[in-house]
Amino acid sequence: MDPSLTLNPLLLVSGLLFAIGLTGVLARRNLLIIFMCLELMLAAGNLTLVAFSRFHLVDGAPAYDAHVFVFFVITVAAAEVAVGLAIIIALFRSKKTTDVTEVTTMKY
Amino acid sequence: MQVYYLEFFVVALGLVMLMVDAFAKLQDKRSLARLGILGLGVVFLLLFAVQSPSNAASPVWKFYAAPDNLSLFFKGVALLTTILSLVMAIDFAPIVLSKIAPPDQGAHPQAGLGEFYSLPVFVCAGLMWMASANNLVSIFVSIEVVSITFIILAGYMRRNVGSLEAGVKYLILGALSAGFLVYGFAWLYGITGSMELGPITEALAKPGVNSTAAMFAFSLILVSLAFKLGAAPFHIWVPDVYQGAPTPITAFLSVGSKAGAAIVTLRLVYPYLTSPVLGTKALAILVVIAILTLLLGNLGALAQKNLKRLMGYSSVGHSGFLIMALASTSYPGAVNALSPVAVFAYYIGAYLLMTLLVFLVLNVLNAADTGETLDSIRGLAKRSPFLAGILLIALASLAGVPLTTGFIGKFLAFKIALDAGQWMLIAAALIGAAAGFYFYLKIAASMYLDAPSSSDGAAIPVNLLTKVSMVILAILILLTGIVPNVIVKLFS
Repeated sequence: MDPSLTLNPLLLVSGLLFAIGLTGVLARRNLLIIFMCLELMLAAGNLTLVAFSRFHLVDGAPAYDAHVFVFFVITVAAAEVAVGLAIIIALFRSKKTTDVTEVTTMKY
Repeated sequence: MQVYYLEFFVVALGLVMLMVDAFAKLQDKRSLARLGILGLGVVFLLLFAVQSPSNAASPVWKFYAAPDNLSLFFKGVALLTTILSLVMAIDFAPIVLSKIAPPDQGAHPQAGLGEFYSLPVFVCAGLMWMASANNLVSIFVSIEVVSITFIILAGYMRRNVGSLEAGVKYLILGALSAGFLVYGFAWLYGITGSMELGPITEALAKPGVNSTAAMFAFSLILVSLAFKLGAAPFHIWVPDVYQGAPTPITAFLSVGSKAGAAIVTLRLVYPYLTSPVLGTKALAILVVIAILTLLLGNLGALAQKNLKRLMGYSSVGHSGFLIMALASTSYPGAVNALSPVAVFAYYIGAYLLMTLLVFLVLNVLNAADTGETLDSIRGLAKRSPFLAGILLIALASLAGVPLTTGFIGKFLAFKIALDAGQWMLIAAALIGAAAGFYFYLKIAASMYLDAPSSSDGAAIPVNLLTKVSMVILAILILLTGIVPNVIVKLFS
């Protein structure tokens, strides 16, 4: 391991990723972009997991629990994308738009 | 029998239903739902045959909790909810069929209905797994099994704009909550160095734990769980999704998904609440969420005209009472005579009975095309005295009228909050309960006192299976309300 590599920069980058993703979800109006930002948030979680795993040593070797978790997160994210894109396509077919501000027929 | 066989049976049942749907050329696909109800009923009976593990050292128990009363209770809740949702889905079949694509030439006239009956069974397996998950990985995967399947079910009626919107909203907010959960879990792992709840609890109780980072992880996880529980301020999706989704799915979502989220919340919040370092801070956050949820849920319901939307706000309000029970846990210096976990479980049980009963009636009204607004049930008592009577019992219980199970649930929640000395919580809960009294009984009054809205006076037909389920639920509500001692003893 490169001795100059520490935990903090990794956490900073993943925190930034998470913040960018969250901002995108809150600020953008296109469903597809929102969906990409959601994936960014999951990626931030993954990066954090791997970083902590790398620096959490058990008997001198990194603990691999978190790596396994990352694989599960990736798989779940793939399943979510499959379902999500299908729904977005169905929505586009019926409303001819993917703008979230148009998805507001239900009000009080 | 090992406890994890139950989930295997449920998944196998779901696969069998899909296979029967694909290959058996059924005339009427509604028999698939009956197969599902039968199979889940058998699994429910098997709950009583679960033995404690013979090999406690087996690696299985690292991600799956050994059976205790709490997890078995929540598995039972998941099974019952799924069974009753399938009962509703049988009545709802014509509406689903009219709102999905018209059948192609030569295709089965009920094409697309088989999946509507099979998917809830997979959700059920996920919910049962949630009740036993004791490892961050298995908690995450079980939550996502449930939530992804619910996305499909909420948006199932793809020719209906409301249902599609419900699907999209649940998709975005479900994925957002998953993002928070993964990031929170990553930090929790970073602080404690373990994925299992046991070692995490120990690590959080140590005096040297980094409390800023630990509370950061707690907040992230709590945001995610508040989404799933429908707790304020993350409850905005609840009314929309409840209104848009097919009625049986709304019922399933409001009870099943909430019970699953509740047990996971219990398991994840307890390590914090019992930690001497973090307990007070975690409790303060929970109290704020409980107060907000109680007020926003119950006061928000006052203005609603759509019954499904109103049930959405009602469900938020009941989450408030659940979190109130949790926030009265192990308050430093207070002695709890009653176990908060028992109150929590009792409240979920009571909530299951009364909410599903309301939805059974709403579903019959929906299937008869009566509409789902408050106006549409005006004078229901003259038209269908049976349905009106059943709905009256359910509403009285939701409002917390004495001699119903809802009263006992609220009473227990108030009792432990009182024991813990949470005066702010009690004040908010009193306001919430009073508002609840008003809007639930307003519906009841309009059923009995107002003149019918339409001239169509024919009684609404109710099929036998639905009728039997309604009567059983109504009897259980009254029974557990009149002789609660038996139930309370069972839980303590």
